Order: sequence, then structure tokens, then C-alpha cells
Amino acid sequence: MMINLGTSLKTSPPAAAAMTVAGAEPPPRRRRRPLLPYGLLLPAAAILALTLGYPLLRLVLISLQDYGLRSLFTGVVGWAGTANYIAVLQSPDLTPVLARSIGFCAALVIGTLVIGLGVALLMRQLGRRMRAAVMFALIAAWAIPNVASTLIWQWLFQPVYGVVNWLLTRVGVLGDLTQHDWTTSAFSAFTLVWLLVVWQSVPFVALTLHAGLTQIPRSYYEAAAIDGAGPLRVFTTITLPFLRPILGLVTILSVIWDFTVFNQIWILTQGGPSGRTTTLGIWTFTTAFSKNSFGQGGAIAVVSVVLLIAMTAVYVRRLVRSGETI
Amino acid sequence: MRIARNTAATLFCVVWLFPVYWMVNTAFKPYGDILSTTPRFLPFPFTPANFVDAVTKSGFLRDLGNSVLITAAVVAVAIVVAFLAATALTRFRFPGRRGFLIGVLVVQMVPVPALVIPLFLSLKSVHLLNTFLGLGLTYVALVLPFTIWTLRGFLHGIPVELEEAAMVDGAGRGTVIRRILLPLVLPGIVATSVFAFITAWNDFLFAYVVMKDQSGYTLPVWLVSFSTSTGTDYGGLIAASTLFALPVVVFFALVQRRLVEGMTAGAVKG
Repeated sequence: MMINLGTSLKTSPPAAAAMTVAGAEPPPRRRRRPLLPYGLLLPAAAILALTLGYPLLRLVLISLQDYGLRSLFTGVVGWAGTANYIAVLQSPDLTPVLARSIGFCAALVIGTLVIGLGVALLMRQLGRRMRAAVMFALIAAWAIPNVASTLIWQWLFQPVYGVVNWLLTRVGVLGDLTQHDWTTSAFSAFTLVWLLVVWQSVPFVALTLHAGLTQIPRSYYEAAAIDGAGPLRVFTTITLPFLRPILGLVTILSVIWDFTVFNQIWILTQGGPSGRTTTLGIWTFTTAFSKNSFGQGGAIAVVSVVLLIAMTAVYVRRLVRSGETI
Repeated sequence: MRIARNTAATLFCVVWLFPVYWMVNTAFKPYGDILSTTPRFLPFPFTPANFVDAVTKSGFLRDLGNSVLITAAVVAVAIVVAFLAATALTRFRFPGRRGFLIGVLVVQMVPVPALVIPLFLSLKSVHLLNTFLGLGLTYVALVLPFTIWTLRGFLHGIPVELEEAAMVDGAGRGTVIRRILLPLVLPGIVATSVFAFITAWNDFLFAYVVMKDQSGYTLPVWLVSFSTSTGTDYGGLIAASTLFALPVVVFFALVQRRLVEGMTAGAVKG
């Protein structure tokens, strides 16, 4: 597949142009040892092929096999054809899981982007000290490993002793919440995870967009001010067009990350209450490792990968095209 | 207007820093104050007891050792392998080079949780389940695409003339790599090492699946199993989480600027 991509690129005209440009950079060095670069590349290629390439192929194979607990011990595996896929597609869990995964992913992406963009724009307007403070807050939240922050979340939202319930009760709009357990209803469990994931993801988005904003020349804004453009107009005609490529990148990365959120849900709810926070990732995991039905788990994983590819196809195409200028 | 902006920024900082503040505050509070229905907002009286409690918990030091060992090995192997690959990719032109680079880019898009099942079964069939070698190889593969890509960028910025001058003076390829390339690319190696460190150190999912014996747990797996087994010892748990997060926060502060720059540079050009 990799080689195919490479050769098909060479046939398109812009690629050919890029080739000559790229060719000028590192001077050709075909001296006595043409095998040396392959030798240097070999360890990386071998590790990637064995631990990423092979498992990806094997995932597709497993999804077509009857791989259960018995196979795990005997090593004997029968073919299942499309039975795993049919079982998954006919499962009553499929529709709710899909709806949940996509809905939750959308809620996460929108929340992260809106807050992230807001903070990035705000940072441009702040004085140096205030901006440094915001950056510090962002980096602190970004740096905490997600297992640690998930455990902190558990503690923050703990019934009886958790500080968040205490604060909410103090504010008093929702009544006495000190005993409230956030993981007992699907909505509040998702809210809990949403808050955590957004808290962790905003820093990357905000800092990246802020870095993008600093690259927009000041003169554009000055010209707009002279012409009497209002803030909304400035945003839509100057900021947004300049920011679009970075905004696109950040959106796609957020989709990928938020669609595959696992640790936070697994540690906080394990997919409960009664399966109602089970997303595709959790479903894959429980099907394979709790029910020992690796074949079906594999089928769900393949379906998730296909869905993710469909959602990010535009970006992947651009990525491959940017490969032309490598 | 200015006041409104500063208020918004202050509010944001308070909300975003609150979990971190609460972690540190809890970690240093005496046990009785942690389990109090009216939370204490300052850790007075101040005590390191929770840290002592965490460190002396069964398994903590052993699993810390596991984490350190495996992370160090992953960083060392990944950097050497990625450096060799990046050298090949920037200093030579050969058939398959472009294909390899695009492959590296695309492979970064694969959602990691989808790899858990086949990796688990593959490691099982070669008897590498429950071994540091199996887990370490997995981590190396996870960090390689990014490390190759980043090191390649750094190597690209070093003029080939330097190496050619050394070769004219009679230096062999090995000497050129050791004496010329390696010192110049050191900042890039530092940045990518930190990335590899963070990935291996933070991972929960693969360690959870691959290391089933308690003696092979890494720190994140220890933390999660501690949180489910002991219900109420939040002092120890939060102190242990703080210790676990500390090295990452320190290393992260060193390189975050570079991570963001790398991202935006690519995006603007694309």
C-alpha cells in the first residue's frame, strides 16, 4: 500500500514538479554503497512492520475468525467468514453505541474547539502577565498524565467528600448535591467524562490556535481598523481565513482523539451504568477481553477504524498530497 | 473592555488550575482533613504523611521501578532506531524513500485502541505476554512514527556541506555521524526523547492488557488498581498520582513550545 501511494503520486503533474524541487535539496549520493540507507532504515521498518503493520492486518483476519476463549488456550482457530460482522450489525447494542460514540465525540470536539478558540483569541488581547498566567494554566492541565487526572476527577466529584458537590450545593441552584454520585445516570456520567476530556484537550487547541494567530500580520488589522470594520467583521474576513488551515488540522486531530477516548471512560464508569456510557472503544474492549470474543471485538474495531477513516478522509487526502513535497 | 477581558482570563485560570491545585492541596493535607464533609482549602496543618503512605504501599516502589526501567529502555531504543532512519531519509535518495515517509505519516492516524486486540493475540502467540520486551516493543512502535518525523526535520536543517568537509578531511561515515551529526542534532534528540518518555510513562491501556502479573505492573496500572481496591484512601492515591505526574510536568514544560511550533509550521505550509 505504501509503495502504491508513492508511485501513483509520481504520475500527477504537481508531484512531478515537487520531485524536482525536492531532488535539488539533498544532493544525490549514489557512491559505492547503495545498500547503506536500507541498512539504516531496516530497524525502524522492521519494528513498524512487526508491531504496527502486522497487527493491523491481523486485526482484519481476527475479525473473520472464530477466535474465542478456546482458541486462546488451544491455539486452534476456525474461520467464521462474515459471521462476526453479521453478529455485530444485528446486535441490539449497535445503534445506541454508534449514536453515543458519535454524539459524544461531537460534543467533545465542539466544546474543545469553542473554548480553545475563545481562549486563543482572548490571549491575543491580554497584557503580557495575564497571558503568561493563562499559558501556565494551559500547560499545567496539558501536562498531567491522563490516568492521574482521571483519578483526580474521581476525587473531585466524589460523593460526600468531593469538593465539586460541596461547591455546587453551596451555590444552591440544584439543591443538596453532597450525596450525588455522578456515575449513576448516563447523562451525568457523560458530563463527568466530558468535563475531564475537554479540560485536558483545550490546552493543545488553544496553544496551537494562538501560535497560528501570532502569525497573522498586524498590518491587516490596522488596515481594517482604518476602514472602520467592526470586531465581527474583522474576525470573519481576516482572522478566520488565515486560521482556516490550522483550524482544520486541530479539528481533525480532535475528532481522532475524542473518537478514541478510552482511559477516562474506562476508569470512571467502565461503560456503566448498565452499559449506557459504552462507546465503540469500550464495546470493543469488553467484547474482546471480558466476553473473550476476540473475533467480534476485532469486527467492532474494524468498523470503528472504517468510520474514523470516513470522518477524516479529507484530511488524509491532504496528508498524502503533502507527501508530494517531502 | 480591558477589565472584562482580564476577568474572563482570571476566571479561566481559576477553573483550569483548580484540579491541579486540588491535587496538591489534597496530597499535603492530614488524613482527617481529607475525609471531611466541609473541604479545607489550604493544606494546614501541612504534612508529607500521604506521600509516605503512598511510597510504602505494597507494590509502589516495585512498579515505579518497572515504569522507570521500561521507559528508559523505550527512549534509548526509539532514539537510536529513529536517528538511523532519519539519517537514511535525509542524507540519501533511494527508491522507496517517499513511500516510507508517507507510510510513517499515515500510520500516525491509526487509532491506538484498535491495535489492542491484535497486539495482545500476536504477543501471546510469540510468548511475549507478561514480558517487558513485549510491552517495550509496543511502545517503541507507538513512538517511532513521531520520532522519525521530528528527527528528520532537525536533520534536514543541518547543511550537508559540513559532513562533506569532514569526509574530504578523511573522516569515515561512522565518524561523520558521531562527530558532526549527533552533536548538531542534540536538541532534536532531547525533544523527541521527552515525547517518547511521556508516551511510555503515561500509557495505561497496553500495560493493562499485556502485563497481567502484578509483579509486572507499571505505575499507571498500579494507580488504577489501587483506586478500585482501597475505596477510601484518597490521601495515598492522590499523593501517588502527584508523584507519578511530577516528572511528566517537569519534562513537558521543557518542550511544549517545540511541540506547538512543529504542529503549526506543518499546518501553515500545508
